[in-house]
Amino acid sequence: MNTLSVKVNRSSGGGFQHRKRGNKTKDLNITSLIDILTILLVFMIKNISMDSTRKNAPEGMLLPTTITTNELIESGKAVYLKIYPDRILYGTESMRVGSLQDFLNKPEIRNSLLRLLQMESRAIISGNSKPCLLIQADKELPCLYITEFIKFSAQASFANIYFSAIHTDNKSEVLGL
Amino acid sequence: MAYGPSKNRSRSQSEPREPNLIPIMNLFIVIIPMLMTIMVTVHLAMIEITLPTDSAGGGDEDTEQLEDLPKVITLALLPDRFEILVEGVEDIITIPQTSAGKYDYFMLDSNMALLKDSNENQGTIDLLPDPTVKFDTLLRSIDICKSNNFPNIKYLTSSTKYYKAK
Repeated sequence: MNTLSVKVNRSSGGGFQHRKRGNKTKDLNITSLIDILTILLVFMIKNISMDSTRKNAPEGMLLPTTITTNELIESGKAVYLKIYPDRILYGTESMRVGSLQDFLNKPEIRNSLLRLLQMESRAIISGNSKPCLLIQADKELPCLYITEFIKFSAQASFANIYFSAIHTDNKSEVLGL
Repeated sequence: MAYGPSKNRSRSQSEPREPNLIPIMNLFIVIIPMLMTIMVTVHLAMIEITLPTDSAGGGDEDTEQLEDLPKVITLALLPDRFEILVEGVEDIITIPQTSAGKYDYFMLDSNMALLKDSNENQGTIDLLPDPTVKFDTLLRSIDICKSNNFPNIKYLTSSTKYYKAK
């Protein structure tokens, strides 16, 4: 049970008497904590990015590293294509298309993906935007598949093709030094 | 009978009151985890490539204009080396791997810088990757070209190694 911090002084007209200094509980000094949190808050607000394309790093995919970066063309709208070593995912909803072998060998898979890309491309063009294809591929993937996808996207009127990578400022990392 | 101000009252007016930091603390406790969840730790970059287009011939062009045209530079990514062909130059620049599976990106960077010095008006590199080359090698090569002021990368989808036909 909590005890009151003041007690009634009966001897001097019923007024309240403050506790003695020795009994007083010390207040926690949180000023330094507030200082740290303020610095942390400012740092985080500075580093935060509201650009959705910058934080859509595909899970479980090893992306290559680059020092240069290009911006999406003006009025461009990107369609995502994620190419894993074992599967292909389409769009921001990561719809599964099939495996890479399916893509190369099964015409029905290729046709369905082509129809999807063509539909998306027509929808973007009708909205007075330019269709862009953003390929996010695993760094270990052979270029055979990349070339196939580039040829494929050209059929679906995607003239602007982008590769996704992790940005770094360290050139020696790219040069493998 | 009028009384003077109490001791407590006069003391509270003279001493600075401590601000109540509890609402600020509450705000921080909410905001900081929220920012931590949406904070970007990995910045993604986009690398643009262009597709080859059919040229329209150009039979009516003057020879003087043709001389001013920049030389086509082709970079081939082969399973064991890089090869650079400059239009009109007989010798192909070959950059072998330093060890098995390790491409010499440093030499590629040096050669690209030299090529830029000798072809200042050229901003395009034709890139021809071998189907077995990894995507990592492709992107590093594109990055090296772009960082040496060759902003346009033309991805050649044809597998024909036409530069060997000479």
